[in-house]
Amino acid sequence: MYPELILRIAGESGEGVITIGETLCRIAAREGLHIVTFRTFPAEIKGGPCMIQVRLSEKNISYHGEKLDFLVCLNQEALDENLPDLKEHGVLLCEAECDLAEERPGRAVYKVPFERIATREIGSRISKNIVVLGTLCHLLGLPRKTIEGFLSEKFARKGKTVLDHNLAALQKGLDFAQRHLAKKDPYKFPNGSEQKKLLMTGNEAIALGATAAGMRYFFGYPITPASEIMEWLAVHLPQMGGKVLQTEDEISAICGVAGASWAGGKAMTATSGPGLSLMSETIGLLSMAEIPAVIVDSQRGGPSTGMPTKTEQSDLFLALYGSHGDTTRVVMAPTSVPDCFGVTALAFDLAEKYQLPVIVLVDQALSARLETVDPQLVERLPASSRLCAQPGAKGPFARYQLTESVVSPAALPGTDGGEHMVTGMEHDELGNFACDEETHTAMTVKRFRKLNAIESDTLTQGLCTRLGDENAEIGIVTWGSSAGPVEEAIAVAKSSGISVQAIIPKILNPLPHQELKAFFGKVKRVIVPELNFVGQLASLLRSTYRIPTIGLTKVKGVPLDPREIVGKIVEAAETLNVRSMKRYGRAG
Amino acid sequence: MEEQDRSCTYLSGVCPVWCPGCGYYGILSALVEAFADLNLPTKELALISGIGCSSRLPYFVKAYGFHSLHGRGLPIAQGVKTANPDLTVIAVGGDGDGLAIGGGHLPHIARNNADITYLLFNNAIYGMTKGQFSPTTVLYDITKTSPFGLPGEAINPSALALVYGATFVARGFSVRKEHLRDLIIQGIQHPGFAFIEILASCSSFNTTDMNVARIIQNIELLPEKHDREDRIAALRLASEEKKIYLGVFHRSRRPTLEEKYQEMERKAIKKGAATSADLLEEFA
Repeated sequence: MYPELILRIAGESGEGVITIGETLCRIAAREGLHIVTFRTFPAEIKGGPCMIQVRLSEKNISYHGEKLDFLVCLNQEALDENLPDLKEHGVLLCEAECDLAEERPGRAVYKVPFERIATREIGSRISKNIVVLGTLCHLLGLPRKTIEGFLSEKFARKGKTVLDHNLAALQKGLDFAQRHLAKKDPYKFPNGSEQKKLLMTGNEAIALGATAAGMRYFFGYPITPASEIMEWLAVHLPQMGGKVLQTEDEISAICGVAGASWAGGKAMTATSGPGLSLMSETIGLLSMAEIPAVIVDSQRGGPSTGMPTKTEQSDLFLALYGSHGDTTRVVMAPTSVPDCFGVTALAFDLAEKYQLPVIVLVDQALSARLETVDPQLVERLPASSRLCAQPGAKGPFARYQLTESVVSPAALPGTDGGEHMVTGMEHDELGNFACDEETHTAMTVKRFRKLNAIESDTLTQGLCTRLGDENAEIGIVTWGSSAGPVEEAIAVAKSSGISVQAIIPKILNPLPHQELKAFFGKVKRVIVPELNFVGQLASLLRSTYRIPTIGLTKVKGVPLDPREIVGKIVEAAETLNVRSMKRYGRAG
Repeated sequence: MEEQDRSCTYLSGVCPVWCPGCGYYGILSALVEAFADLNLPTKELALISGIGCSSRLPYFVKAYGFHSLHGRGLPIAQGVKTANPDLTVIAVGGDGDGLAIGGGHLPHIARNNADITYLLFNNAIYGMTKGQFSPTTVLYDITKTSPFGLPGEAINPSALALVYGATFVARGFSVRKEHLRDLIIQGIQHPGFAFIEILASCSSFNTTDMNVARIIQNIELLPEKHDREDRIAALRLASEEKKIYLGVFHRSRRPTLEEKYQEMERKAIKKGAATSADLLEEFA
């Protein structure tokens, strides 16, 4: 029995390709399997090639897999595009009319006239994807009842006619497969566990994490690939007594967050690079006026409009440095879908406790990917709240009081005796405009001391993922969704006898200095894989720690391939060997 | 006398930075008198401003004040009102702040009908940056950045607010303090977005367009018989070029943003109030 299965379904957008993948995922999650997916989106609104890759495993996984065990192609274009990714002994299931340039021995090929079955026997072309599911049911050894049960739930609301239609399509696919397709490959749906899992996208996990942290006010402007966060919240936040407002632009969105947060609400916005660019000025205001806010940036190919449907990790500099002046902000980067939940919730805790903006960086691939999450992971309560003054204070309220601790008590509008000014101008403790040298220095120090406090706060401890062998001389530092391919690469390197260790900080400002310094003290090579051209994390590490780094950058709009990372590991290992041989030579 | 004393309790004690002779003193005075008239508790007052001379006003008022970014007072005010509908939310800004850099927000706050009173101080010049033309400066005017005459036509703020669908649109004049105070009172009492254009002189940089004598020569109170429900009639009067009408051009009752939020919440809860268990069900 195979402990895992890497399967890809490819076709034309609108053919129901994604539905096939998602249905398999839902079923697998209920069976307790671990799932990571990757999907591409065509640039077109309708039509255009699309695919979903699904990796189902009995073990915990963090990457969608490289070579395919099983490829399903609904047309010739999909076949030509995706066949090179199929394993030598993999399985191909395709539309009967597709031409295969060459037959390979050991590769199982099944051809099914999906289109004809759907149009002639069911009478509707859109049922084609359910016919495919029926065929897969047979080939992967999935009980028909499981899929039927799932479809019944899915189509229950659409009425009996629609459901019957789909069940008939499933049966036709299954019948055809049973009659014509003799199973000639060993691949099967992996075995599940007792522990049922939840299945969600990164965007859904972000929205869920925010609500768990008590976020009740969302302001946003539609943008690929972050819109699903607002769309999910638009349905669910009002059910919790919260409010969602689609604003006229990203500036208005972040300003809405600033206003709602100043008024005492937990507020957020979610956007992509172009939106974050527009929000930069207000991020400076939030820092200056000391107002909590959470800003999610789902990165896409840039600069400018760039590649809206493609993934990239190229907004790190913008998140770290965007906005004029010395601006304080926290930058965080979850590495997986479960992390999207936890890191987003933590972002609110930090924003509220330290009264500053927190930027959460994800990317298109992580936003859109479906992944399993353990149900107990998404039970969480807010871990900290804003420090507020007692009502009834006499005299002018010092909103920006310089205190021993790094934060000044806030007074939420409506609080008796707390009337005060917040402002984007440099100000004294009362919030009055002040531009003398002592005040600007003291207040700048006040704002930056927060970052030191955050670095040592218990809330941010353990925010580094550690992978591999802790005695290894080759080290990898990466961030965000590149963690998955790195984990795969380390396993591959290990199997060829090369030890590697990795550290993946989920907080990038302030950096977890102690853990990173200890890491750099132990390794002799530092490889920094990331999805941007200039090596933004590598640059940050070099300037902060004055260490040499080996960059691995990629701007193809798709995630890193573990093989690319393994290549760098092997190169680094060779330089280490060469060096030790030279030393040996000299000594001899 | 007692009335004036009460209005003084709404002053923060911070000395205004405005030039001697600035029209904004009259606006500040009318505003605090309106607060006193309405007997509004200072703790429930939120004043949000953008950037510019007029946007300094919150410092001088005893209230919760937010001096924000150039052009962004309105969307911040909308956020404040969204999170705490019990507050009396007043947005303050100038003609450059509200019609140039922040001009994109006005139609949307207006159509949302957020329950905010927006005071747009119109002195037809950039005063804080010392004398460049603004969106309301008159065509061919000579300013520091239009030394050979301004190429753009002046925007009419009240007409714009009417076209954008604001549910309360009025025009006042800083010198006519009692009249202005009454407009502000009506604006605050209006459920929904209240837009009040306030003509004011800039004693340092605009002594032509907003010359007090010139305004006084041309102002006229709106005709008594004007039907304030009639937006088109209001637009005609607001757009009048020979006369500068003062008063309430338009007033209509439409659902406020808060009322619409409540309606959405009712519909959402009908679908099912969300507990964390319900939410997770969706992902099972």
